[in-house]
Amino acid sequence: MPDVQPLVSEFVLKLKRRKVEGSHAVARQTAELLRSVVSQHRMGSTNQAAALADAIRSVGEQLISANPIELAVGNIVRRVLHIIKEEDISSTAVGIEGLSVTVDSDDEYDSGNDDHPTLSAAVLASHARNALRAPSLQTLLDDIPVSTALSRSASSTGDSDGKTGDKSLKTRKLKHDVIAAIGDLIEEIDTCYDQISEQAVELIHQNEVILTLGRSRTVKEFLYAAKEKKRSFRVFVAEGSPRYQGHVLAKELVEKGVQTTVITDSAIFAMISRVNMVIVGAHAIMANGGVIAPVGMNMVALAAQKHAVPFVVVAGSHKLCPLYPHNPEVLLNELKSPSDLLDFGEFSNCMNFSTQDGTPLLNVVNPTFDYVPPKLVSLFVTDTGGHSPSYMYRLISEYYSADDLVVQRKSTS
Amino acid sequence: MELDAAQNPNPDPPISAYYQTRAEHHAVVSSDWLAHAAAAAASFPDAGAGADAAPPPSPGSNGGGVIEEFNFWRRKPEAAEAVAAIMALAAVIRSSRATTMMELEIELKKASDKLKSWDATSISLSAACDLFMRFVTRTSHLEHEKFDAAKSRLIERGEKFGEISLKARKTIAMLSQDFISDGCTMLVHGYSRVVLEILKLAASNRKLFRVLCTEGRPDRTGLRMSNELAALGIPVKVLIDSAVAYSMDEVDMVFVGADGVVESGGIINMMGTYQIALVANSMNKPVYVAAESYKFARLYPLDQKDMTPAHRPIDFGVPIPAGVEVETSARDYTPPQYLTLLLTDLGVLTPSVVSDELIQLYL
Repeated sequence: MPDVQPLVSEFVLKLKRRKVEGSHAVARQTAELLRSVVSQHRMGSTNQAAALADAIRSVGEQLISANPIELAVGNIVRRVLHIIKEEDISSTAVGIEGLSVTVDSDDEYDSGNDDHPTLSAAVLASHARNALRAPSLQTLLDDIPVSTALSRSASSTGDSDGKTGDKSLKTRKLKHDVIAAIGDLIEEIDTCYDQISEQAVELIHQNEVILTLGRSRTVKEFLYAAKEKKRSFRVFVAEGSPRYQGHVLAKELVEKGVQTTVITDSAIFAMISRVNMVIVGAHAIMANGGVIAPVGMNMVALAAQKHAVPFVVVAGSHKLCPLYPHNPEVLLNELKSPSDLLDFGEFSNCMNFSTQDGTPLLNVVNPTFDYVPPKLVSLFVTDTGGHSPSYMYRLISEYYSADDLVVQRKSTS
Repeated sequence: MELDAAQNPNPDPPISAYYQTRAEHHAVVSSDWLAHAAAAAASFPDAGAGADAAPPPSPGSNGGGVIEEFNFWRRKPEAAEAVAAIMALAAVIRSSRATTMMELEIELKKASDKLKSWDATSISLSAACDLFMRFVTRTSHLEHEKFDAAKSRLIERGEKFGEISLKARKTIAMLSQDFISDGCTMLVHGYSRVVLEILKLAASNRKLFRVLCTEGRPDRTGLRMSNELAALGIPVKVLIDSAVAYSMDEVDMVFVGADGVVESGGIINMMGTYQIALVANSMNKPVYVAAESYKFARLYPLDQKDMTPAHRPIDFGVPIPAGVEVETSARDYTPPQYLTLLLTDLGVLTPSVVSDELIQLYL
């Protein structure tokens, strides 16, 4: 794969240096990069899907380790792996079912498969489809070694056709299908704002007061859409220190004619009792329904819970991560530069490294993210609709496969 | 002391056979017990031999045969109750003289009902029977399969279930490793083989952690658990059941097993689990339940008394005066809002997934 390596290295460098930030941009660029990887991949004649998945995994490993906090990278890599599996299984299942039509007239098929003489084509096809789903009670007692059964039937499909022309057709078909599906994924990432904003008018009613923290593009589009539909509502924007992106959002809302009030983060508890609903964005949604959000969000969620104010999180489905948050405040957080908080010039005499143990007396901590536990969230609004936190696991099993949780190169050769 | 195979042992007061077995498997062996057992064996020379002999030959499709078969498998301490049930049903298939799937299903249904009514208190027994019946029904609806082939496949899958159960425990142990971090303290209640497997794997991965074990009256499960943990070199502290709230602030997480997982996502487990979950919840400590997926049952208890009563005799050491009642229920129900996560072989699940899985299985 030498053609793709410079592209991959360039992107890895961008991720490492935090030149590309924000889930949307990262997700889109990752998807485009993986599409290039797939299209440049030279497909072998056997076991193509596994080889392709392996190529994606090795690229994915590099990308994820470049910026482990940016969960969107891992999400897209896992989505692509799932797409490859899906396309492979659906094309093979179609092949098997096509074969079963000719089975009755073809005796040698029955005698050919000695190990599983009783497994009909219909059984194999249904097992192939089950293999794609997460393990469930239905399949607990089953034990068809699906991969070997499938590969045998796939090769017997090839043999019975006996033409190399057909094999290369199948090769190109898989690649083509995967590239088309990744294209759909990119489009889904781009249009997530529109789909989420469509639900705004059902959520925001007349004369409501909404609170938000910082500036989230999804929240902005959401509020714009409600304004388009002539809802009259007011917005309290908490400024979101230390970056004060709330100021930018306030300006943008005023341009659209929304009545806005800017408050400090410390005033949230004071103002929350006058608010009808809290609508915020997220950096990532974890598998248990917990949210990784810009710093300060946990405080807003606790304030909302104390005053029984619904806490709504709007996020595109590319932010949904299949991992569990273990110790998220430490492991899924990043400390940014202290210069956001304190000016180097003014405090240079506190940064005195000549003390006894070489550490200065003044420490400045600037964490980027906060973890909001699932019990504080009332509703998730995603491009697939509104869901409660306890439902998020279902979306995960639709988009991701269970064995892709750890992205690692599998084959050694 | 063992029982008439066709009838529920000790019908008055109804002592639960399930909990009696668990006590036999996991109770602490004391010297009086040993003397007692030796005396019993001497007077009934065939009683001890019967337990270890080959499985009783199931004569034809005799309904009583399934109970004997079940009892044979149930005695083995490593095998889960569900495994014993499925082995018994597989044996019924093997000895069946049915020639069509419908006939076979009817025989199996009879055997399964017999098993379920023999011990109405065991949830994993009835859940496993239902799971196997669903598997049989689904298999029989797949076309193009000859009867003999289907029958042998059913028997093979049934007998493999013991392996599936062990594999399930290993999967759960692997999934749980991330939840145990170095320097953490966990509270364990009851003797669960799954939880023990989790702790064994963590110890072999050289994680440093500490376990607080509740005593677990009246079965003294805590003492047995602490024996096992001490053998693995894990620092253990035993608490009496009433000391749980006292020690809860030094605890980082609570691990329990489950006798059954009900449709609401709550669990039915040894008496005391509900109490511990309440205390943990009020102090914001996570409660993790380790349970295999075949324990998911189609029950929906609305309160503590909503289940089939299961009693265990409690020995207080001193005689209780006549006219004083004793609460002898062996288990309680913990509602889902006090549980943080279910660690199962289907993955790490939130309690709301249980009803989803059950719906998929039964519809």
